[in-house]
Amino acid sequence: MDFFRPDSLAEALAAKAEHADAVPIAGGTDVMVELNFDHRRPAALLDLGRIVELHEHGRQDGKVRIGAAVPYARIIDELGRELPGLAMAARTVGSPQIRNRGSVGGNLGAASPAGDSHPALLAANAEVEIASIRGTRMVPVKDFYTGVKRNVLAPDELITAVHIAPATGAQQFSKVGTRNAMVIAVCAFGLALHPDQKRVGTGLGSAAPTPRPATKAEEFIATELDWESPKPLADSVLRRFGALVAEAASPIDDVRGSAAYRRHALAVLARRTLGWAWSEHLGGGRRACA
Amino acid sequence: MTGLLEPKAIGTDLRRRDGALKVTGAARYAYEAPVDNAAYAHPVQATIGRGRVTSVDTAAAEALDGVIAVLTHENAERLASTEDAELAVLQSGDVAFRGQVIALVVAETSETARHAADLVTVHYDEQEHDCVLDPDGELYKPDKVNPAFETDTAVGDVAGAMASADVTVEQTYTTAMYHNNPLEPHATTALWQPAGDGGDLTLWDSTQGVHPARSTVAEVFGLAEDQVRVVCPYVGGGFGSKGTPHAHVILAAAAARAVPGRPVKLALTRPQMFALAGYRTPTIQRMQLAANRDGVLSAIAIDVVEQTSRIKEFAEQTGVPTRTMYRAPNRRTTHRLAALDVPVPSWMRAPGECPGMFGPEVAMDELAEALGIDPVELRIRNEPEVDPDTGHPFSSRNLVACLREGAARFGWDERDPRPGVRLRDGWLIGTGVASSVYPVHQMPQSTATIRCEDGRYVVEIGAADLGTGTWTTLAQIAADALAVPVADVQVCIGDTAYPMASVAGGSSGMITWGSAVVEAAHAFREKFGDDPADGDEAEGSVSENPMAERYAMYAFGAQFAEAHVNADTGEIRVPRLLGVFAAGRIVNPRTARSQFQGGMTMGLSMALHETSVMDPRFGHVVNHDLAEYHVATNADVADLQAHWLDEHDDKVNPMGVKGIGEIGIVGTAAAVANAVHHATGVRVRDLPITLDKLLPHLP
Amino acid sequence: MDAEITLRVDGADQPVTVDTRTTVLDALRERLGNTSPKKGCDHGQCGACTVLVDGRRVLSCLMLAVAADGAEVTTAAGLANGDLHPVQRAFIDHDGFQCGYCTPGQICSAVGVLEESDGELSRAEVAERMSGNLCRCGAYPGIVAAVEQAAGEQR
Repeated sequence: MDFFRPDSLAEALAAKAEHADAVPIAGGTDVMVELNFDHRRPAALLDLGRIVELHEHGRQDGKVRIGAAVPYARIIDELGRELPGLAMAARTVGSPQIRNRGSVGGNLGAASPAGDSHPALLAANAEVEIASIRGTRMVPVKDFYTGVKRNVLAPDELITAVHIAPATGAQQFSKVGTRNAMVIAVCAFGLALHPDQKRVGTGLGSAAPTPRPATKAEEFIATELDWESPKPLADSVLRRFGALVAEAASPIDDVRGSAAYRRHALAVLARRTLGWAWSEHLGGGRRACA
Repeated sequence: MTGLLEPKAIGTDLRRRDGALKVTGAARYAYEAPVDNAAYAHPVQATIGRGRVTSVDTAAAEALDGVIAVLTHENAERLASTEDAELAVLQSGDVAFRGQVIALVVAETSETARHAADLVTVHYDEQEHDCVLDPDGELYKPDKVNPAFETDTAVGDVAGAMASADVTVEQTYTTAMYHNNPLEPHATTALWQPAGDGGDLTLWDSTQGVHPARSTVAEVFGLAEDQVRVVCPYVGGGFGSKGTPHAHVILAAAAARAVPGRPVKLALTRPQMFALAGYRTPTIQRMQLAANRDGVLSAIAIDVVEQTSRIKEFAEQTGVPTRTMYRAPNRRTTHRLAALDVPVPSWMRAPGECPGMFGPEVAMDELAEALGIDPVELRIRNEPEVDPDTGHPFSSRNLVACLREGAARFGWDERDPRPGVRLRDGWLIGTGVASSVYPVHQMPQSTATIRCEDGRYVVEIGAADLGTGTWTTLAQIAADALAVPVADVQVCIGDTAYPMASVAGGSSGMITWGSAVVEAAHAFREKFGDDPADGDEAEGSVSENPMAERYAMYAFGAQFAEAHVNADTGEIRVPRLLGVFAAGRIVNPRTARSQFQGGMTMGLSMALHETSVMDPRFGHVVNHDLAEYHVATNADVADLQAHWLDEHDDKVNPMGVKGIGEIGIVGTAAAVANAVHHATGVRVRDLPITLDKLLPHLP
Repeated sequence: MDAEITLRVDGADQPVTVDTRTTVLDALRERLGNTSPKKGCDHGQCGACTVLVDGRRVLSCLMLAVAADGAEVTTAAGLANGDLHPVQRAFIDHDGFQCGYCTPGQICSAVGVLEESDGELSRAEVAERMSGNLCRCGAYPGIVAAVEQAAGEQR
């Protein structure tokens, strides 16, 4: 197995262009499991550990740009205010050791339906920055996943960052698991209020072959919420929202849970998170001035 | 028995003697044996559920740089004994279950060995396999159940009692397939030195008994016992799975014999452990209870169906605890097995008692509910005067005291018996109780020597410390038996170079080895008095306890659980778990508490998390790693308390100990299940209790 | 394919030749003879291999040795500098282990917890932050008590 350890992004992209079969690796929390499981025996690895810009976050065009290899622990510590939904999701990732190494870029690269960051990225309308020697393109995260553990990346491309607008309203993330820690989601749900756009963003995890938004639920709730003079939500509205979220799922039965359970739990998570977020919005919300 | 040892060191709260070695990582486990120039072995596993290997193509593997040998059934040495089919590795092309070892690669590095194992191409003649435990399928009655109990017992007329009783419970309960999953994967470092008298085999093996392991390996290879040395000072957990050698030990030894003079290291990967290191059979328990309005049992019966492998029988004694727990004139226990194309089941912490106290203890809760009698009180009302199974008196039986003490500590008296009525912040809250029991096992053989060296006493015995505290507690026993300070005692265990000791199993370690140490101490004092010279040495062995014929000897306990169930999602949390045990004298409160708590934690894990999911299409466990086979994490355990009664039993052995390694896991799952029912009103009779099973029925 | 790298292990530079597939864990255990970190799963699911790399706790089975070239690796063996580290003493005091196999990883993880937290941690927080380290013996109550004791001493 060849091992490439580029010092710069340009070098990395050149290496990826030349060795399309090289598997990119940063924190290793996904790739190494595959390797040690013998699920993969790649001809080459492309270590992104030395590329500074992948490990940084900052502002760009009013959005937060998170380098693909920024570990979850730093998102929790440093970006909780701007990106509360993503930080909440990051807090539920694997173990603390995994959170010290694992990154959003890795989650996107693996594109597992159970990846914890996807629902939060979907709810917040994140965009994925993808680069190759041919140039850089931005892909809305909802268009990024193409199948179970598949994404839009071309063989010569690398994920370099995600761009997310700072929260303008309340955000929530909720996940159900069968133990209290080190949980792979039975199902997960992310929600973000976007008062500036008068809409609500959603994201489902472990509920379909790919992470996906609950589009009908978003359309329904957009017409129900009164952003100008917000009032408490009727229980019927919350329930309808939950039902539409559950409808958006196409879950499977597996070791972690049944499809029927997942649908039910998603409806619960959806109405719960919407209730919490809307209450926060009603209360003036700590993020009113964000 | 002539009275108990006067406790001085016994009962003191000493820190572990192996503590510093373990917290620094300096304690060396089997794979870490300090050998030079090791080669590494990696098994190739069958990918069919049943059939025959028709050809093995090892050319690509052998061509890989660094590969030393590829052993298959075509070139591996013929073993002297193939009687134990689990250990008869690489002797034929037959495949009895998916995951069985069909080849072994030996290479210069572990990476190369693993890679080469991937390159071995195998062709099969595949036959249909059956790995589904079906109570209506083909079953048979084993001659005995583990280790030598009667398969069935019957007294009186259960059917008649059921027909005429005021209240009956008749339900079926199931426990899942569980894997022991010690944190240290099974590993062996093996070295064959052909020189000398026919050669010597040294095994650094992760085992619960160096001497039993030696006997097995010697027999399989046709070696004299003194040609084999097994070394194992530290065991990274076993929980029964390292109680008998599994196939990998033979493979490591065979590999070593194929590369004489070169040590070979073999560690199973975590996924391999799910096929090759034993597991607890799933059980199906049909329970019958009959009682009058006062809750007095007139009948108790359990009919058990469980699995074994087609190539080797292991019959878990699931029905056995029901023979002893409660008084009832009409009684029945039966065991039936399905022989399947599955990995070989084996010992797992409290075989028999652990699964076998789930059905009965949930059934007792159901009976209590049906009668409107408090479940603690119901158990007390059915307390037998003598062992219902043998008619012998108990050497001591303090179940009732455990129940009462536990109830007081737990705050049981304030309990509202109604299920499903306590909702706090979206969580349904309930409490449950169950009894625990574990027999006092003494193994027939163990010998210790005590030698005076530089004014200190060196105790040698080939015993094991699986985390149980043997390094420390044997020193405490020796100190009191010799009447010297514990600091003057040095303990040497974990090597067949020391006298023969029995396996660390059945909670028999302290009882058996401790008795040998006491005998050795008495012999030593008798021979050399109180002022021995350097080099003075005496030996002592455990002997049969005549009391064992006249008394029923058991430890008992009571476990109390509080369960919180999320009313919306069905998520389950257990914020409180409290056990009270009556297990004879406690040698070391610090290590004993860890044993009880560890058992209870594993019981909690069994209640809520653990299940090995067998894919019937392929015959393998799907969730064969620690991400998907969930064991309890730190965050799953909140307020976990273990207490014990000061129990004096002068019939069991000179130390007055009963064994504590296993009772902690017995009854825990039932207590949790009963608490979940009390919280929700939903009775889950199939472990583990998962969200899916609760949700459709929540109020 | 082999690569020459140098790891700084427990304060000493250790040049070592590794396969590009070799993990930091295997480099330590099989090449450098440092068997303090343990292999429990090789998949980042148990925490037994936890070491400190450049001061942060990581799973050494998920880190390639070649990618760690030049890194500062601290194992539980290296934490004991003549005397036991306060976390190690606390584990012995509270019997925060039985078989000892997960223990070096627990110790490194606990040191990481103390490093990562600036305020006082509740019992539940300690348990959560230690949940990447499985203990099949079930020594969790002792582990939490040990971390609390060490945290108290640190303050």
